[in-house]
Amino acid sequence: MATIELSRIAHTYEPDSDEPVYALKELNLVWNDGGTYALLGPSGCGKTTMLNIISGLIRPSRGNVLFDGVDFTDLPTSKRNIAQVFQFPVIYTLMTVEENLEFPLVCRRMPKKERSRRVREVAELLNLRDKLKRPARKLAPDDKQMISLGRGLVRNDVSALLMDEPLTVIDPQLKFEIRRKLKQINEHYGLTMVYVTHDQNEAMTFADTIVVMNDGEVIQAGTPQELYNRPETTYVGYFIGSPAMNLIDSRYVDGRLETAGGSLPVPEGVSIPPDVQTLQVGIRPKYVRFTDATTPETLSGQVNMVQELGNSRVVTVEINGEKIRMKLSPDTTIPEREVRLSLPEEHICLYADGVLLCRDEDNVCLSVPHQPGSEAEPMG
Amino acid sequence: MLKLNHKHFFLLPGLIVLVAIIIFPLLFTLRVSFSSWDVVKPGLDWIGGKNYVRLFEDMRFWEALSRLSLMAVGSVLIQYIIGFGLALLVWRDIILKRFVRVLFLVPMMTTPVIMSVIWRTILHESLGPANDIVQVLGFEPLNWLSTGGMAVLSVILVEVWQWTPFMFLLLLAGLLSLPDEPYMAAAIDGAGAFRTFFSVTFPLMAPISVGALLIRLIEASKLMETVYVLTSGGPGTATETSSYYIYIRGLRDYQIGYAASLSLTYLVIMIISLTIIAKVLTYKMARD
Repeated sequence: MATIELSRIAHTYEPDSDEPVYALKELNLVWNDGGTYALLGPSGCGKTTMLNIISGLIRPSRGNVLFDGVDFTDLPTSKRNIAQVFQFPVIYTLMTVEENLEFPLVCRRMPKKERSRRVREVAELLNLRDKLKRPARKLAPDDKQMISLGRGLVRNDVSALLMDEPLTVIDPQLKFEIRRKLKQINEHYGLTMVYVTHDQNEAMTFADTIVVMNDGEVIQAGTPQELYNRPETTYVGYFIGSPAMNLIDSRYVDGRLETAGGSLPVPEGVSIPPDVQTLQVGIRPKYVRFTDATTPETLSGQVNMVQELGNSRVVTVEINGEKIRMKLSPDTTIPEREVRLSLPEEHICLYADGVLLCRDEDNVCLSVPHQPGSEAEPMG
Repeated sequence: MLKLNHKHFFLLPGLIVLVAIIIFPLLFTLRVSFSSWDVVKPGLDWIGGKNYVRLFEDMRFWEALSRLSLMAVGSVLIQYIIGFGLALLVWRDIILKRFVRVLFLVPMMTTPVIMSVIWRTILHESLGPANDIVQVLGFEPLNWLSTGGMAVLSVILVEVWQWTPFMFLLLLAGLLSLPDEPYMAAAIDGAGAFRTFFSVTFPLMAPISVGALLIRLIEASKLMETVYVLTSGGPGTATETSSYYIYIRGLRDYQIGYAASLSLTYLVIMIISLTIIAKVLTYKMARD
């Protein structure tokens, strides 16, 4: 069991270059013991680099990796108590399922009896029990991925399991099942789990804490609810949730927010810095409602498009060139053309220069979300 | 019924070449093998299967064939092991990587016959530098080319020297195309260098190994010019291979009819045995 701390880690793949491009810009992170974390971000944002630094496959250009406060930066991969599962299943093709699962234990010279006991236990957990004697290469991709996972779980020294988009090759129906199994394993063994993905649903259903990354930086770390309701930057608002958060340009004039098609009150508890005039009003599509009221707090516009999604319908309303999307239940009647929208104040997030302006009650709120050299930010 | 139209005429150049260089010679050889065509009585008479009966009793042919198998399989295996070793050596980052890689390829780019002449000079028992070196090292001079066993070894030595680079080139290309993940997984599983090689590298290289071994075996079964220059099949018939024996019968003794039957028998045996070897290797090593 271990708390993993990344202290002032930065990495570049071109250390000899005069102006190296950093795959990972300097950051501090703490992975708490037993937590489930999802690293979420677009391709090439540094997720895999971070995983490989933790497991020791890459030595960071700068900074230290600490396990329970002990510096592991220079320790080789095999000496770290880390297991890692890759995007594509890795199996030893000439071995049976049993020999595959046993392999890490054989490498660690565990006695035969203990080995087979642990292999049986893990095979039971991963539904590989009746396939133990079969050649591993003959199995379906999802079973192969279970073997990759099993080789991590079978070791008794593992305290963290790193997974790099492990469900890419798995059928959609099975993904749900396997994520549930992973949760079960997390509870059973108390492993710290870090899960890399670019699929937000996967991240939301799997992790207690989601770390959103972009361009080598951590943008926000928080629970799925926090990320959904209070995205700290417009990037997170856009990246998390489907459809993405509505962002409406507005001007701060005489204590109100002038937007296309109306003017909104400033949400309670938000203080707007004196020099700021242009702001963005962010609201999740599911909170936007049609209304009959014609008060200044409502915005008028025209229905532009309706998309049926089966369990919901997404309506796009155009307001003086701005498009606002609404997520409504499928049985909502949609007015013909001219509509008025209400944006409930309690669900509005206000952004200046793409960064959330905090309400008084927001307890987790980074004023500058990724300040280099700041103290490690504990998560979860 | 094949309907002829203009597009079939485009096949003609290819077909003519095929008939001219493969099908006609093959059929003609088949016909010649049933004749007694020799230097005394040239011509296509018909003697039935007499040549084939003679061939089955001709121990020199069968000995040459088994000697060929030994030398081909032996030299190819040694080439594979050394080639794989060299490829592993320059696979990962080492200093002067490019230079070393090119250096290893030099023997392959030389002309086999010329190199055999040079090797004959090197291995010359009284004038060549090989024995000088052996003596400097404190051993008795070796009969490189004048005793049967040593002559076979010398032929294998030259073959290995000449063709290991080819093996090296194929295997290095294979190594460079391997994915990274299995190595990362092996590192995480705690496998050392030896276990990583036997559990990861070797299985991943199986398909390429099979290809490389087969290409070299087919090449090696034609083994002739090295023997011709280095030992002329000697001492006695100690290094005589099938193609060299067929060459002696056909183009030295001018027993054209008999040589034709030898060639065809050799061809059939080679096709059958190489097919079996290919099947076994593919089944054993590249089962996926």
